[in-house]
Amino acid sequence: MLEIRNLTVAIGDNVILRDIDLHLPEGELHVLLGPNGSGKSSLLATIMGLPPFEVVSGEIIFAGTPIQSLDLTERAELGIGLAYQRPPSLDGVTVRSFAAALGAVAALETEAAALDLTGFLDRDMNVGFSGGEIKRWEVLKLVLQDPRLLLFDEPESGVDLEHVIAVGDAIRRVVGAPDRSGRTCSGLVITHTGLILSHVKADRAHIIKEGRLLHSGDPHELFGHIQTEGYTIPAA
Amino acid sequence: MDDVADPAARLSNEERDILHDVGFDDPAARAATGVLADREMRIAEATDPGVEILPLAEALRTYEFVQDLMFGLVSPEANEHVAMVAEHMHDPLGHFVWVKPGAKVRLPVQTFTLLETPQGRQFTHDITLIDEGAEVEMIAGSAVPGSVHKGRHISIGETYMRAGSSCRSVSIEHWGTAMEVYSYGYSRMEQGARSQSTAIMMAPVGQHVSRSHSILEADTNAVSQAIIFSPEGTDRVIETETHLTGAGARSEDMARMVSAGGRIVNNALLVGDAADTNGFLGCDGLKLNDTGEILAVPSLQAIAEGAMLSHEASVGMIDSEKLDYLMASGIEEDAARNLIVQGFLSLDNEAIPAGLRARVVDMIARAKSGGM
Repeated sequence: MLEIRNLTVAIGDNVILRDIDLHLPEGELHVLLGPNGSGKSSLLATIMGLPPFEVVSGEIIFAGTPIQSLDLTERAELGIGLAYQRPPSLDGVTVRSFAAALGAVAALETEAAALDLTGFLDRDMNVGFSGGEIKRWEVLKLVLQDPRLLLFDEPESGVDLEHVIAVGDAIRRVVGAPDRSGRTCSGLVITHTGLILSHVKADRAHIIKEGRLLHSGDPHELFGHIQTEGYTIPAA
Repeated sequence: MDDVADPAARLSNEERDILHDVGFDDPAARAATGVLADREMRIAEATDPGVEILPLAEALRTYEFVQDLMFGLVSPEANEHVAMVAEHMHDPLGHFVWVKPGAKVRLPVQTFTLLETPQGRQFTHDITLIDEGAEVEMIAGSAVPGSVHKGRHISIGETYMRAGSSCRSVSIEHWGTAMEVYSYGYSRMEQGARSQSTAIMMAPVGQHVSRSHSILEADTNAVSQAIIFSPEGTDRVIETETHLTGAGARSEDMARMVSAGGRIVNNALLVGDAADTNGFLGCDGLKLNDTGEILAVPSLQAIAEGAMLSHEASVGMIDSEKLDYLMASGIEEDAARNLIVQGFLSLDNEAIPAGLRARVVDMIARAKSGGM
């Protein structure tokens, strides 16, 4: 599904990610772990094609297609979607009008109810949303977008425990299941707290530190290691 | 006017289509309808006994008091355009709308002006009297057929809101792409009157100068918004002057402007003439490309002690982060820009009747693509 080979990314002259190799098979959910500023969000933004990240070398291959020369819309059309950590506010653009622009009005009411966002449909996107509401909305946004590769940037941070379950349920329901075209979806999730691990079925985790992918392994084992030893490579 | 029973039948299909874009609906579903085409009053008919609508010439003959309303809020010598209209008033052309004292008018009153002659010259004078305690919703539109791109239209509007009256109004204009349009609006709100008005200026026009002058007496409340779009080749100058002349007068005036290559000048002056008044001016501008210009000049003048006046103004380009956010969601760039522009112009707001919103959204899309 997603193959990242020897990827180095910079903002201007400042290298942010170095020599990243990552393989995400179809239907799997992987987790990115790492300290603040390690490059996790930069990696998701680079996959999505957001500025100002520039691929210096290496490849990102999605569903067999090299995507690093594609623009945002082309990547989204291929089936990549990103739930932002800090999305911008869009005054005057309601959740409902956004869904209409996506052609996803039919799914809106049901999916919003699943994330306890029923009362948000006529609100402006991200305007006056609490931290937890933003995260739930970002998950709903991805569900409406219906991508094959779902990128979640800290979907549980700032979300109360009750709603972490709803967010986890939504992720679990989508990743590994077919999209509207019948293609199996995959996911890549950044988590700081690890809370989401109790509510999704993660297949693999990766530690990123100082822009490098340090280690990959079982998500629960790796998270347990980080809790005691920090972001280090576990002993063999 | 010819005597056809169905008022809408006095309009051709093309005329109905043109007017539909600026808010026209079946006269049977309106409290009153007035349609002026070139120099002919095609429709002036009310279905609600609380409303009277007449061609201005007939109103002057029927009601002596209309003479006092005409040029009651502006001198016929106020400027060269007003003087020009005044000089054409040997054969007065325009609507007279009278909402009777205490009338609670359930359906909207609609009035429209059509300029159908290419290179036509049209000078109109509309007078609206909303009498004591009356409540009404008004829709006004101006339009030309697609074949008319040049011409000149000068209008004067005088609106009297008597004590305790209430009016919610929307106006939409759709002139020709190379026309010159000069609109002069004058209003007086007497004690306790309430007004909520929305002016929608979306379609391309050569030059449009719009000036309004409002007097708010004691305990009045006026909320107005202007939604202004200026594609390449369009030059708009909007000047508003609002006087808070009585204690308790409140006004809130918001202009949202988008330039897609055209020029918009918005000069707004708010004057606190009396104590215990409160007013706000807001001017927000959005530029969609590097051509064109937006000049927003909100001015406050406090004359009486205790006049609380404030303003906010901003002009900027579309935020690329917002655009990227929508595009990353799978929305094409043009559609994403449209969403942002529509959001900025606040087209979802309740001041615009639901039936008109879709037409206005379509108008923006067509104006941006050069399809109008």
